[in-house]
Amino acid sequence: MNGEPQGVTSAEPIATRSAAPMWIIVATLVLLFLGGYYFDRHSGWFDARVYAPYANAENLEAFQPKSGAAAALARGKNVYNGVCGICHGPDGLGKPGQAPALAGSELVNCKGISRLIHIPLAGLSGPITVAGKDWNLNMAAMGAALPDEDLAAVLTYIRSSWGNTASPVTGDDVKKTRGQIGANPQPMSGPQTMSQPE
Amino acid sequence: MKTGISVFVATLVALGASWCGFVLLPLLQFGGAKQTVVLQSTDTWPVQRTGAATLGLQAYRANGCVACHTEQVRQTGVACELTLTSLGVQKPADFKDFTRSLFVLPELAAYTNALTASLNGWNGGLPQTLLTSADKDLIAEMADRLKAVGVKSETRIVSTGADVARGWGPRQSVAVDYLYDQPVQLGSLRAGPDLANIGVRSPDANWQLQHLYAPKSVVANSTMPSFKFLFEVRKIVAAPSSDALNLPKEFAAADGFEVVPTPEAKQLVAYLLSLKANMPLYEAPFTPVTAAK
Amino acid sequence: MNPTENQSFCPDERDASLRVPLLALFGGAALWLIVGLGLGLIAGIKFHAPDFLGGCPLLTYGRLAPAANDAILYGFCIPAALGVALWIFARLSQAPLALPLVPVVAAHLWHLGVFIGTATILLGGSTGQTWLEYPRAAAVLLFAAFFLIAVSAAATFGWRRERSLYPSHWFLFAGLLWFPWIYSTANLLLNCNQPPRGIVQPIIGWWFANNLVFVWLALMGVGIAFYLLPKIAARPLANSGYVLFSFLTLMFFGTWCGIPQGAPVPAWLPTVSIVAAALTLVPLIAILMVAVKTVCGACVSCQGGPFCYLNFGLMSFLASGLLYVSAACPQYSRILEFTWFGAAQTQLQLLGFAAMILFGAIYELMPSVMGRPLPLPKFAKLHFWLAMLGVLLFVVPLLLAGVVQGKHLADATVPFADVNIAALKFLRISATGQLLLLLGALLFAANIFLMTLQWKVGLIKTVIAYIKSPLATTEVKS
Repeated sequence: MNGEPQGVTSAEPIATRSAAPMWIIVATLVLLFLGGYYFDRHSGWFDARVYAPYANAENLEAFQPKSGAAAALARGKNVYNGVCGICHGPDGLGKPGQAPALAGSELVNCKGISRLIHIPLAGLSGPITVAGKDWNLNMAAMGAALPDEDLAAVLTYIRSSWGNTASPVTGDDVKKTRGQIGANPQPMSGPQTMSQPE
Repeated sequence: MKTGISVFVATLVALGASWCGFVLLPLLQFGGAKQTVVLQSTDTWPVQRTGAATLGLQAYRANGCVACHTEQVRQTGVACELTLTSLGVQKPADFKDFTRSLFVLPELAAYTNALTASLNGWNGGLPQTLLTSADKDLIAEMADRLKAVGVKSETRIVSTGADVARGWGPRQSVAVDYLYDQPVQLGSLRAGPDLANIGVRSPDANWQLQHLYAPKSVVANSTMPSFKFLFEVRKIVAAPSSDALNLPKEFAAADGFEVVPTPEAKQLVAYLLSLKANMPLYEAPFTPVTAAK
Repeated sequence: MNPTENQSFCPDERDASLRVPLLALFGGAALWLIVGLGLGLIAGIKFHAPDFLGGCPLLTYGRLAPAANDAILYGFCIPAALGVALWIFARLSQAPLALPLVPVVAAHLWHLGVFIGTATILLGGSTGQTWLEYPRAAAVLLFAAFFLIAVSAAATFGWRRERSLYPSHWFLFAGLLWFPWIYSTANLLLNCNQPPRGIVQPIIGWWFANNLVFVWLALMGVGIAFYLLPKIAARPLANSGYVLFSFLTLMFFGTWCGIPQGAPVPAWLPTVSIVAAALTLVPLIAILMVAVKTVCGACVSCQGGPFCYLNFGLMSFLASGLLYVSAACPQYSRILEFTWFGAAQTQLQLLGFAAMILFGAIYELMPSVMGRPLPLPKFAKLHFWLAMLGVLLFVVPLLLAGVVQGKHLADATVPFADVNIAALKFLRISATGQLLLLLGALLFAANIFLMTLQWKVGLIKTVIAYIKSPLATTEVKS
């Protein structure tokens, strides 16, 4: 602006004294009110679990998936990994010398479920042919200790995984078969299993 | 303000209030955060990282990857989807007639076009999506009506939003996803794609290494700088190393030389492969795609 | 006890007391501005030629970008603002700077801290927290230096003759308290051995970034502008009620902004920030009204002088504030988050608002403090045009790039590679803007260094003259 040494005037600036106009104070109060309303609608009121787009805790609870096919499958998968997968393999392909494959097995993929439920409830011992391969092993009654719903879930999981497409198994089916077999069943033999009605 | 003291007090109150609200309160609310559990499962979340991946996070921080990449998926909404799983005794044609008979219902008025479109050209294959993005109560009502005629259906919760549609993640990122990150590298600019689920999208370590060494060799027109200094070009001694990168001709090393990742590169890739946020949680529910196929 | 009570007011003494502290602060600041803009320019070029200087790990984009931003903010904006604040306090107190050696020591500590921080980031030791990338050692130095300068400023303020406060006093005094609190909190919590786990880290980071880049720079910049604009225009500052209102609302509402709408945090945090952003419109409007009422009708010719800098700076502040507020609206934030829009708004705040106000203030005050005119006044004028053009060419294309990028990102059918390509042509223009800003910074540094040189030569001449002067036998000092 100017290049002289006394470029800056020696007088200090002063401020004219007057009050803030009313309209800006009113505008601020209106904005505060609208802000409060917005906060009420969208904040979930400090709930640590409510994230946008859920409006509040009830909204979030309403969208939790109810037990259904997916839940059963998830549960079945858990049980499988803990109980059956050790021998039958995490991918259902079985392990030679330990257990036959469940993927593509005709024992798994049949329409009826009674025969299939017998196997984990009673056990299976002796020669049997599954998917063209011969097996001669012992399977303990791995499902006898499981609750009905868990056994139903794992059988449903097996019947709908790895290419298997068969109908689900319900807890009632398991309960019925358990009643038929009795408390301490003997393991079935291979021919005995194959001759069971499906 | 007449005195210095009054200015001091006003400043104290103003800054103190926001300090309480945005520092103290979050510390109290989330400072002691613990692991949570995946929805409808007993798996804990998040999964702890391996040692290599933890070191990789430090490599990520040191090279400033956060300047171009984000690690958070956003979600603009949540919707319900009604999927047909079993027709019972009905034939597909009968089912189509049944669906059309429901159009008179007032609550379905807005969805008649969507229903017609989804059943157009359908020949009975299952599962079949009937309705999407409808509100939850309507979906529940439709499911009940279908059940009454012996048709089985499944209600799925899906996340909506551009990030989800791009395949960057099935749900939004939530606080607990970052529990084990030190430092948390959320990012604020997407000059590169989001990385929250990169361990799910690109689980191949070799692809990641190649991308770091020569981004243009795997992504044409990439603006990502090459991180050649994370690799070593060395003479092949006896036989090529098993770690050596398999590069296309214009990016490969000269004859007799191979490109080998340094430990830092491997750690960084281990970290990238550990980035997964694909499990449903209470805060961000969704119905995962079921069963191993 | 007020040492100035019984002394007659001597402006030369006041100016002399300010000389060394201000040269120390501004000299380092000018250097860091060049470093920051230079690193930023290289980073900008890397978007078009990713392998430009690609072999060097020190120059990888992820290290350049934070180093450049930190150099501009911590290296230039903060020390320059503190220097101008010291000058304003001294002038308003009509007294020499209290404890003049303290700011000199502090300036050296500060610049050492910035040096350590920048070098550490480039060598791969960044902490990974946005705006807090400097390691602990640098953070301690910066805090100590700021504290020392604040002590000197507070003492100057306390020893003022005129006891009533001028509005700039409020803004600058609040700024002196603001930075130490936010800086110490953020570093103690995030830059320590056991930071809090998980999402608390980014929340504190956002709180800090908002309070530093938005609120603190606003407090200092507006405080400086409200002192210099009336002075240069030779008109009183309009309506102290408006000014008080803007001061209080800026502090009380502005401090709550900052949490992005799409953040992975429970809904209450972004909601509070959105409400606060809407309320921040109030101080922006109030500051606009004050500026307009003070400046309108003043007959000051522009021609690239300090008045132009201040006007452009205030206009940039209002633009940047409006962008900040509108980017917080949920429907815009959905598109504009994670795009160049946020980066552009930050650069507008730093280079358009803070830097321009500080340039104007420094060009205005240095002639009187040094006791001689600017060595290269034409450079100062040319600097204004380069800086104004540079800011516009840098920020506006970057904003457009952000909007385009956001629209493409929101459309899931657009592959990601195309999103980047669409933004690239805007980035090319932005790089030109960065070049102009760098040239302007070089002109600025030329003036500062020449002033320092002149002062040093003058010192040497004084010393030589003193040695050569004949001994006085009897002298009565009056």
